[in-house]
Amino acid sequence: MTFAVTVGGRSVECDEDQALLDACLRAGVWMPNSCNQGTCGTCKLHVVAGEVDHGSSPVETLSDEERCAGMALACQARPRGDVELRPQGTSAARTANPLRDMVATVREVSDIARDTRRILLGLNEPLTFDAGQYVELVVPGSGERRQYSLANTADEDKVLELHVKLVPGGVATHGWLFDGLAEGDEVDISGPLGDFHLPPESEDDGGPMVLIGGGTGLAPLVGIVRTALRRHPEREVVLYHGVRGEEELYDGERLTELAGQYPNFRFVPVLSHEPVDGYREGFPTDAFVEDVSTARGWTGWLCGPPAMVEAGVKSFKRRRMAPRNIHREKFTPADG
Amino acid sequence: MTTTERPDLSWLDEVTMADLERNPYATYERLRAEAPLAYVPVLGSYVASTEEVCREIATSPDFEAVITPAGGRTFGHPAVIGVNGDVHADLRTMIEPALQPAEVDRWIEDLVRPIARRYLEQFEADGQAELVAQFCEPVSVRSLGDLLGLQDVESDKLREWFAKLSRSFTNAAMTEDGEFANPEGFVEGDEAKAEIRSIVDPLIDKWIARPDDSAISHWLHDGMPPGQTRDREYIYPTIYVYLLGAMQEPGHGMASTLVGLFSRPEQLEEVVDDPTLVPRAIAEGVRWTSPIWSATARISTKPVTVAGVDLPEGTAVMMSYGSANHDTGRYEAPTTYDLHRPPLPHLAFGAGNHACAGIYFANHTMRIALEELFEAIPNLERDTREGVEFWGWGFRGPTSLHVTWEV
Ligand SMILES: Cc1cc2nc3c(=O)[nH]c(=O)nc-3n(C[C@H](O)[C@H](O)[C@H](O)COP(=O)(O)OP(=O)(O)OC[C@H]3O[C@@H](n4cnc5c(N)ncnc54)[C@H](O)[C@@H]3O)c2cc1C
Ligand code: HEM
Ligand code: FES
Repeated sequence: MTFAVTVGGRSVECDEDQALLDACLRAGVWMPNSCNQGTCGTCKLHVVAGEVDHGSSPVETLSDEERCAGMALACQARPRGDVELRPQGTSAARTANPLRDMVATVREVSDIARDTRRILLGLNEPLTFDAGQYVELVVPGSGERRQYSLANTADEDKVLELHVKLVPGGVATHGWLFDGLAEGDEVDISGPLGDFHLPPESEDDGGPMVLIGGGTGLAPLVGIVRTALRRHPEREVVLYHGVRGEEELYDGERLTELAGQYPNFRFVPVLSHEPVDGYREGFPTDAFVEDVSTARGWTGWLCGPPAMVEAGVKSFKRRRMAPRNIHREKFTPADG
Repeated sequence: MTTTERPDLSWLDEVTMADLERNPYATYERLRAEAPLAYVPVLGSYVASTEEVCREIATSPDFEAVITPAGGRTFGHPAVIGVNGDVHADLRTMIEPALQPAEVDRWIEDLVRPIARRYLEQFEADGQAELVAQFCEPVSVRSLGDLLGLQDVESDKLREWFAKLSRSFTNAAMTEDGEFANPEGFVEGDEAKAEIRSIVDPLIDKWIARPDDSAISHWLHDGMPPGQTRDREYIYPTIYVYLLGAMQEPGHGMASTLVGLFSRPEQLEEVVDDPTLVPRAIAEGVRWTSPIWSATARISTKPVTVAGVDLPEGTAVMMSYGSANHDTGRYEAPTTYDLHRPPLPHLAFGAGNHACAGIYFANHTMRIALEELFEAIPNLERDTREGVEFWGWGFRGPTSLHVTWEV
């Protein structure tokens, strides 16, 4: 008899007389372990669903209270049916904003920069989300789905704001969003999705932040900076917007206005390929390295093309930002 | 199998202690291939070198623990690693409460994290460091020192003690007549023990009169009838076990893990980016270079046949866990550090009823230290102007690890 053992989203087969740890390790699913004889406690974990036989788990390593609380030693316990496990120390997934399918109505389509559009989608019901999350749009006729980040703050919950960049030949952009999409159209969407958002307000200590957006990677950052500054008006925030040339810049006024309102917020547009007097030149991730001597204690936010996000991680680490404080959203192509 | 059919092991006569300490791997690789259980003249003992034979002997009812001769000369009796039956049970009962996972979970973060932070603050702005002496060893000894009740003993003193005890413990060379080949090698261990006693005796006096929550105070009092304490002569050998292995090995484990990661820059980057990989990196680190490479032994309690070799009752066998963890029968390319290798259990913490008592504490100490290191210096690079040398046969790890980073 074999059962399914699920841990961290992966499922492996486990014989009824096989230890959970053994089944996982053989399937290449790592979990902490050391002694494999029930004496060290390294492999202790939570049984979230299903039942296990504790086998010869010693009470010294796994107390009765721990058994009652649903803990087990993976190197000793055998499954009695399908079980779901959670490694120790990883807290249960935060209560996420519920994912919904909705029909939205196009409110406005405007060209805001070269090959760049702002699309506003009206909802019948407000959407609960965190600034920085994204929604998925169903491309009419094709059944394809594409992701677009929300530029909104959480209270702007009835009209969603998207920034979309044209991809030549692209199914969603070239074939639809830049060709034929009109005010009043209905669009099937799902959301919110993603973990690119600030921590809950109670856990946000108001520490310094740097955000780098490449092209329409600016979108979620517009929602995030406004939320962050509203929470802590004095906090130090630097936002870089990297594009190829001046014609691709947008929302400059909106962000400059924000900088007027919040003394410690700086907005820095950076042009990589078509230099113009009065603008920073190069890649935004290099501009950051030039400007900031140490980012210890900062949080970092990177959004845009995968290569830019990778470069940003390197820049942040060079300035000694802790990697766990580096948040990343990659605009990976659907076929990528 | 009769003796004449056995492979010719005369090459073993040429093996010296210095060879083994510089690099034991070649010798043990040959042993694993030719004679997984073999008599090694320089050690004056049988040696188990494969995963299978180590595990079999360590968990066999026909063997019990014995301390190696140089170990016994260094620690005296009754050290927990060399006793059996009731005395072993009593010593394990004495040391285990402080090392139980549920107990360790209660204080490990508050104990180790500030210590790691404190040492990091001393050099994080420098852009360069020698991590063995400035981080791995200090965090290791300070964490355990504070747990034991040795807050007033400087970290550098604790480091000096483990180094001296370690060299004495592994002064294993024997003459053909079964005498120690280098008796002068025990002198520094004796000096360290004299100094330890001069510092710890007054603390024991204090703990006898006024128990506190330190581990050694508990060792004296726990489970004893009211008004009585364990005799200090009874616990000193186990105090030495701690002041050597338990002090030294988490530092070895951290440093070896770092050297392993530096050999795979993309894996280092992965771990720095995702601290939840640190425990896995450490598990592979201590497999790759096992801190307790070959320091403990077992002895047969009746005539037995192991790996085709007939052993009379009373035959001592050294457990070469560092060799077992490089067994090609079990690991592909064992000499390579690989975070992503199939994660089979290893023998770095031993096996059977004498397996390491400090696994949970050690793993978490190493984890927190490396988490803090990567958090403070995510742009860590090995300083390639300096080499990395490993040393040791009984205990093994890098002797130094120079690193740089941009500040
Ligand atoms: C989480 C997430 C959030 C996103 N948010 C946004 C957003 O806010 N704004 C936005 O404009 N886009 C965003 N994207 C990208 C978006 O989802 C689409 O991938 C993009 O619009 C291209 O879709 P398409 O159907 O037009 O092109 P496709 O038909 O998917 O692609 C056509 C061809 O172009 C290639 N290609 C696709 N994208 C690029 C590119 N950027 N550069 C070069 N080649 C490319 C593809 O590999 C393919 O060969 C996001 C992606 C993700 C994963
Ligand atoms: C990475 C660090 C460490 C490693 C790799 C390690 C490894 C080992 C090994 C291989 C043994 C011998 C097991 C055998 O013979 O089968 C051992 C024994 C032991 N270890 Fe550890 N150890 C480490 C740290 C510690 C620490 C921090 C403590 C205490 C706090 C500790 C306490 C002990 C004790 C008490 C024994 C003797 C057990 C017995 O004989 O019953 N160890 N260790
Ligand atoms: S691995 Fe040690 S108790 Fe399971």
